[in-house]
Amino acid sequence: MRVQRISKAVAVGAALALALTACAPGGETAPTDSAKPSSSSGGTNTVEPADTGLADLGDITTKDDNIKVTVGAPDFIGYNSNTPQTYSTYNSAITDRVLSGFSYFGTDGKIYQNKDLGSYEKLSDSPLTIKYTIAENAKWSDGTPITTADAVLSWATQNPNLKNAKGKMLFDSVSADLGDTVPKGPEGAPDSKEFTVTFKNPDPDWQIQSWLGAPAHVVAKQGGLSTDEFVAGIRANDGTKVTKAAEFWNTGWTTKPGTLPAADLIPSSGPYKLKSWTAGESVTLEANENYYGTPAATKTLTYRFITDDAMVQALDNKELNVISPQPTIDTLAQLKKLGEAVNIQQGDTMTWEHLDFNFRDKAVFKDSLELRQAFAKCVPRQQIVDNLIKPLNPDAQVLNAREVFPFQENYKDVVAFSYGGQYDAVDVEGAKKILEEQNAVGTKVRIGYSAPNPRRTDQVAMIKSSCDAAGFDIVDAADPKFFAPGGTQERGDYDVALFAWAGSGQITSGQNIYATGKPQNYGEFSNKEVDAAWTRLATSMDPAVHLTEMKNIEKLLWDNLFGIPVFAHPGLSASSSDIKNVRHTATQSQIVWNAEQWVRAE
Amino acid sequence: MLKFILKRLGASLGILLAASFLLYILVINAGDPLGDLRESVSDNREHLMAQRTEYMNLDQPWYGRYWTWLTGVSKCFALQCDLGTNIQGQNVADLLSVAASSTLRLVVLATVLAAIFGIAIGVLTAVRQYSGLDYGVTFLTFLFFSLPVFWAAVMLKEYLAIGYNDWIKEPGFSTPQIIVIAMVFGFLMQVFLAGSVKRRLITFAVSAAFVGVAIPYLVWLNFFRYPQLGLVGIIVLSLAIALSGTAMTVGVRNKQVLYPALITVALGIIMYYATFSLLQAPNTWLLIGGGILAVGIPGAIGYFMGGRLRKVAMWVSAFTGFALAALTVLDHIYRAWPGFLKLKPRPIGTIGSQTPDFVGGFWDVFLDRGAQLLLPTILLAVISLASYSRYTRTSMLEVGQQDYIRTARSKGLSERTVIFRHAFRNALIPIATIAAFDFAGLIGGAVITENVFGWKGMGEMFATGLTHVDPAPVMAFFLVTGSAAVLFNMLADIFYALLDPRIRV
Repeated sequence: MRVQRISKAVAVGAALALALTACAPGGETAPTDSAKPSSSSGGTNTVEPADTGLADLGDITTKDDNIKVTVGAPDFIGYNSNTPQTYSTYNSAITDRVLSGFSYFGTDGKIYQNKDLGSYEKLSDSPLTIKYTIAENAKWSDGTPITTADAVLSWATQNPNLKNAKGKMLFDSVSADLGDTVPKGPEGAPDSKEFTVTFKNPDPDWQIQSWLGAPAHVVAKQGGLSTDEFVAGIRANDGTKVTKAAEFWNTGWTTKPGTLPAADLIPSSGPYKLKSWTAGESVTLEANENYYGTPAATKTLTYRFITDDAMVQALDNKELNVISPQPTIDTLAQLKKLGEAVNIQQGDTMTWEHLDFNFRDKAVFKDSLELRQAFAKCVPRQQIVDNLIKPLNPDAQVLNAREVFPFQENYKDVVAFSYGGQYDAVDVEGAKKILEEQNAVGTKVRIGYSAPNPRRTDQVAMIKSSCDAAGFDIVDAADPKFFAPGGTQERGDYDVALFAWAGSGQITSGQNIYATGKPQNYGEFSNKEVDAAWTRLATSMDPAVHLTEMKNIEKLLWDNLFGIPVFAHPGLSASSSDIKNVRHTATQSQIVWNAEQWVRAE
Repeated sequence: MLKFILKRLGASLGILLAASFLLYILVINAGDPLGDLRESVSDNREHLMAQRTEYMNLDQPWYGRYWTWLTGVSKCFALQCDLGTNIQGQNVADLLSVAASSTLRLVVLATVLAAIFGIAIGVLTAVRQYSGLDYGVTFLTFLFFSLPVFWAAVMLKEYLAIGYNDWIKEPGFSTPQIIVIAMVFGFLMQVFLAGSVKRRLITFAVSAAFVGVAIPYLVWLNFFRYPQLGLVGIIVLSLAIALSGTAMTVGVRNKQVLYPALITVALGIIMYYATFSLLQAPNTWLLIGGGILAVGIPGAIGYFMGGRLRKVAMWVSAFTGFALAALTVLDHIYRAWPGFLKLKPRPIGTIGSQTPDFVGGFWDVFLDRGAQLLLPTILLAVISLASYSRYTRTSMLEVGQQDYIRTARSKGLSERTVIFRHAFRNALIPIATIAAFDFAGLIGGAVITENVFGWKGMGEMFATGLTHVDPAPVMAFFLVTGSAAVLFNMLADIFYALLDPRIRV
């Protein structure tokens, strides 16, 4: 057949071509240097941190290198992470590198001052007055000094009293309380480096109030005002004058995906500045050469938007250097298979799982502390932690508190005071006895949670096998609409709710959960002593009082069995072993919290 | 015809409207748009919920929200589409353009490759019905068809990306590897070329020996890091193509076809030199223009010199010209490869459509995009190969039993003419419908493929929108895919009329 003739001709031709063309092997020998592991791969940090805050790297220069990181699939949205549309931890993971604040959370949720930007000190407790001092050399990347004007903008965006002509809040910000809690705002000349703020009421969480965000000079200019005019307009509560500027703050930084706003609109006050954005794929940050503090250790930091499934292989292929996937046993096993090429960071996070009793009308545990105790006795917390959490975090332990975590310094103290260890071991016999005494054998207990959630299904199965033996009849009341309007939770059709709260590092946030009539007190728990303790805590500025009241509250919640804490959710991230200073954090700032310190070992 | 098209268009619009209504209602009831805030402990939780309720119009009744969306979309007739904003305040029209271009880049090449290879395999297996090749290929296509995408993607990444990237650092083969590759290659060649047992044995031995010699030689050349084709290679290969083309059509003795082909080769070599520096840093338009000229000029030469065999001469010359252009491009890509490896030591990517902030010449960027596109394209193409090849095979077999095929054979036409001129053309009619549907479906994005390879396309936009109970992006997705389905359906009908003389509307 002809076809055969032709293919032979082609084969011969190809052989000839090879024989004739290439006279000698091409190029130099292949590079081999990158294959060898770094000699300094012993430790994971260049400088060992002294505490849970940022390590002091000393006098370093920026290394001309590129580190690629992913925290998840969602794309970048915009420079301003404080509007309701753009408020997401994924967006903040990027903008937090670009926009500095006066304080930050350490790896255990402790609050540290950002000494690069300046300092703050409490002048008086009553009224609570704080003096902020901005570092003399602190400036935006475009050269404009960071001043009180920027603090005034930050305050204005959180001021619900600043309204437009229609009576709507001018700045569409996620936070809207500073206008009421600090009526006068930051006091000081707009161009000064010092300002004081005076709170109307005591605020134990004053340290994490945000006094620096977007650049006031940019917002003022876009609103057609000078910075001084802008500050004066805000202080005079002149809504109409600053409307245009506020509109820019609300929407001006949200651009077409893949297109960053003009460089003069997005100056940086942090160690990095925004360089480029490829829609849906990556955002590149470049070291801010005008940064006034310790410079970024690595010049380029690239964020890629990758789903969990693709992270480990991309790390293996060196397309990513740092990844933070959802912790699953499969992912961890894959990471472990990569051996010495990667460092794995494991640990607790501040999100914690708990079983909350329902105290509303139809629920079985409503009026019976004894039944609650019986239930607590039969819940196999240690088994849940051993089977479900330890494979992900070998150091995991049963959580015995609600407001503090095992990795925090006062945990032992609080637990020792508030909890006697009576529910550490499963006591089926004890539970059975109570049920018999109460004549409640066979009580149906509906454990509700938001489905689908395999881990919670497993937990309920373990609880069922243990508590059914004690005489309860546990029902898995999973529902995809558990939290939705009109769902199980709202109707109250459950006896125990199984879910997690994401801790925010605030001291007073628990008041919303445990005090009577508060919005997050889903089970409608009510205890006068708890309410009073929260009030004392929230109105005091004394850390000693905070600790005492915290202990009281924890004890009351254990004694009255508001619910049963189970475990802190595990966190997982991994980095190429040549990248130093990647440190696990329990907070919501994620693994990138100290990204400006990451550097590739020589 | 016009009346038919208009009628179809009218009906389609009605269907789209009804479907959009249905979909909108389903989406806004698909979950709780405030769900992520309900488990939050932040003290501004109520404030956040109120804000989201306001900007997403959650307080409006369902018909109000649908009406708002519909009025925005109806502005499309005035070319001022307002597709609304998503839950993150981004303009959905902007998102759509980004997602659509990403998806098109991902699926167009894969669809074209799948169609070409699928149809070719279908014809081949139909011609050799019930042979070992037929069974083997059928088995493989069904195997590919039933591969779980996420699993296949992981395998591709493991071996073609990570494995290859590790290997390319110091390319080499061990002796057992060479023997296995040679054996497999020899086996495949004898399967494809077929013939008597003796013939098969010879084919096997020759091809296996060829590979057994070629691989160590290529390794010695360091070909995998420093590939080279060179002028001589181009001359030899293009001469081979010109001669084979002539031989395949009319035989090398026929000077009316041979000469234009040889002139094309000579011209191509001159052009190789003339464009050398230009092609070291070209741009896309230059390449497209060059490609058109590389086909057009030889075609013209064939037209003027072909005489009686004008048509054949044109085809042969044009094909030779195209092959020469392709070889020239390949030569430049080979030249760029070592530099590219320096810029990107691990060439094959597993995520994204490009290396972020990649800086390099035209060929470097070309190679970068190509290396990122490689795995998803292979995956998508291999999976949709099965349907094309099976449909083509069935269609070919059915057509092969028709009376007119028997007539064609009995009047003494060559087998090639019967298969390609008479059978294949008619067999293509049902394939056209499948291709149209397939393409319309692919615009909808390949959700899992996009996901595992880190592309943000239409599928991702739809999935994210649905998870957030965010109607605007889902509806934008629907507008595009729904319109595409309707449009391609109609095109297939029109195409039918053109292909099949029995259909007149």
